[in-house]
Amino acid sequence: MAHHPVTSAEIAIHGDHLDSSKVARVKGIAFFIALVGTAASLYLLFLAPEKTRGSFAYSWLFAFYFFLTLSIGGCFWTLLHNVSNSGWGTSVRRTFENLGSTYPWMFLFGIPLLFPQVQQYLYEWMNIHRAGHGNVKEHLHHVDHLLYNKYWFMNLPFWYGRVIFWGLGLSLVIIGLRKLSTAQDTDPNPGTSRLLKARFHSTYTLIIFALTITFTGFDFMMGLDYKWFSTMWGVYLFAGSALNSMAVIILVCAWLKSAGHLKHVTSGEHFHIMGKLLFAFTVFWAYITFSQYFLIWYAGITEETSYFLIRNTGNWNIAMIALVFGHFVVPFVILLQAWLKKNPKALAIMAAYTLCMHVLDHYLITIPERGISLGNIKPEVFGEIQVAIPGAFWGDILAFVSIGAAFVFFLLRAIGQHSLYPNRDPRILESANLSN
Amino acid sequence: MSTTRKRVYGYLAEFKSASALYKAAEKIRDSGFRKWDCYSPYPIHGLDGAMGMKRSILPWFVFFGGMTGTATAFALAYSTQVVIYPTIVQAKPANIFTIPAFFPVMFELTILFSGFTVLFGLLALTQLPRLNHPLFASKQFHRATDDGFFIAIEARDPKFNPEKTRSLLAEIGGDNIELVEEEDA
Repeated sequence: MAHHPVTSAEIAIHGDHLDSSKVARVKGIAFFIALVGTAASLYLLFLAPEKTRGSFAYSWLFAFYFFLTLSIGGCFWTLLHNVSNSGWGTSVRRTFENLGSTYPWMFLFGIPLLFPQVQQYLYEWMNIHRAGHGNVKEHLHHVDHLLYNKYWFMNLPFWYGRVIFWGLGLSLVIIGLRKLSTAQDTDPNPGTSRLLKARFHSTYTLIIFALTITFTGFDFMMGLDYKWFSTMWGVYLFAGSALNSMAVIILVCAWLKSAGHLKHVTSGEHFHIMGKLLFAFTVFWAYITFSQYFLIWYAGITEETSYFLIRNTGNWNIAMIALVFGHFVVPFVILLQAWLKKNPKALAIMAAYTLCMHVLDHYLITIPERGISLGNIKPEVFGEIQVAIPGAFWGDILAFVSIGAAFVFFLLRAIGQHSLYPNRDPRILESANLSN
Repeated sequence: MSTTRKRVYGYLAEFKSASALYKAAEKIRDSGFRKWDCYSPYPIHGLDGAMGMKRSILPWFVFFGGMTGTATAFALAYSTQVVIYPTIVQAKPANIFTIPAFFPVMFELTILFSGFTVLFGLLALTQLPRLNHPLFASKQFHRATDDGFFIAIEARDPKFNPEKTRSLLAEIGGDNIELVEEEDA
């Protein structure tokens, strides 16, 4: 550390703002792709021939939940930063908040999943419930004892209530925290009151976050097969969410830094810490994923093994084995190196790689279910049960690109709205002079 | 008057604060000394950079120590559970695909071997434990565990010079500069 410490003279008094004309083009293109893609997707979800509608419902669910995990992770890092009274992250906290602030928007892409026309292909249990016509419990008592027992949790009014709560709850949390943080930027008398307020409100709202990541996973993903359950499911999705939102944060910070922003307030030390978190959650993801597999493999209970019977046979098994090496072994060995984590460019490459693996992970969570469920639900339309539906892959790409473009648009929009770091935070100098 | 022969260990100088020690360390680093060290009651962030210390080789020891642990555990589990005495539970395979059952053991032994390599590698690299240190001959040195910040430059450093090194230490803010002599046994 030959350079002198950062002083308040080097902190931009009116904040470090992104030049909006620089990203206007990218933002415009992203918005256009999102608009056209979403319109096409809505057609494929509601108006196309039934065969397409059925398989595209899964594409949409995959893309929707993938980007939702990134946004939820942004909320997580914001909450964790506040509640752990952390000093190191103040310089990059605005990026956490910006990523989190995409949550309300990304949740809107789940609206099609609220319609029975889409649900009928995804959630078999809803079809059985709907066949009950009012007297659902009585109906379940006769047709499916498992659903009868699960009725207290898996029933339509409660499901809709929960989903609305997941959408509203965390949105209000992140909007509130971000407002609290950005209001500080222009306050002529910035004090510690906002810091303490953010810390206090992050404590109990962390519970809302935990419920959201766990139970959106239950309601949207685990419900694809109502017979199947895994007690590791929530924490498994959380591990991927925290890991990959950190990857997005690293990418955004590296990009801003290379564009000449975040000067003085971030250094290799910040990237080192974010790299360590990326590494830690790579290990955590592997630990949780293996634990889930291991418990199910050891116990060998029919209801539980179905998940891995689908995914660990045939060609899906190749992808699952690729996941073990690509999502854990390779990044684990590479991220062990300290120099790499201190170098924003090298770390950004690893972050992009991690995101690609997250795509594979979520593809394997959602898509192998498609051929089986559709064959079960409507064999007269979709034919017999099959491993994969030919041609459905293009729908996956369309849904992914549409929602992905929207994600990029809302993220860039949030980044451009306020200063890129909380320039009047009492801890900004502590964070700028970070050494670890 | 003592009759034992004495050998010069080097100069010991005290500094007022952690930041004074830090700045002095940068200057000694820049004047090219190799055999010298800082002593402070608590760890100082970034002092390794100020002293110009290279990264330790210890992580590499640990990496290979950990790998040895993984390999040991796999060999142990595989030879006992597959080769010598195959254990068939719930019709699960007794071959290489039994590997999920070995993972906990492989994980644990990786940690254990890494931990051992850290501990013993660290002791070896720092040449600890040792019974005595020449600096203990100094009357003021015990304050390094309480409120004293010290730098010691050893006489065996090729740049060491009785006059010049002393004046350098005084120049960069060293107090109570003392020539430490160890008893030659």
